[in-house]
Amino acid sequence: MTKLLEWLFGVSLVGAVWALVTFDLLDLSLPKTYREVAWPMPLYLLVSFGCYSLATVGYRVATFNDCEEAAKELQGQIKEAKEDLRKKGLKM
Amino acid sequence: MATGVDQAAGMSLVVFSLLLFTYYSVWVIVLPFVDSDHVLHKYFLPREYSVILPGIAAVILLLCIGAFTAVVMWKNRKPKKAD
Repeated sequence: MTKLLEWLFGVSLVGAVWALVTFDLLDLSLPKTYREVAWPMPLYLLVSFGCYSLATVGYRVATFNDCEEAAKELQGQIKEAKEDLRKKGLKM
Repeated sequence: MATGVDQAAGMSLVVFSLLLFTYYSVWVIVLPFVDSDHVLHKYFLPREYSVILPGIAAVILLLCIGAFTAVVMWKNRKPKKAD
């Protein structure tokens, strides 16, 4: 629950700053270009996240590899388990 | 191991996302600071489209996900009713 509250707090903080800059709530008289940049920020963050996700998926697809040692380990464990079960009288 | 096709597909995904990120960053963040009569503006659509196009893309994506979920659930429900 605390993690959720942390995230909610952070998101609302960023959202408040964004609203302050975009709608000029405090009459900071920022240059117009700043507001033009700040206005599509949420969508920009979303697009960046999408690009990052796509790149991660692509990179993992490109460098996908076999886990030969893990395969050997698993085969060994299967053998062990079969012998153990046979000792205990299970027929396979 | 990843085959040649896998590597090509993965790398093209990475390159595509990097290109998209760079283009969108320039469009949204750099362009407001460039004079409006600069050459750079010729290569970008008007600024409204930097919000409209991703919005349309998001709607289409959500529709596709919804349709996919509906199809999968519909296919899974049929045999249960027959049982």
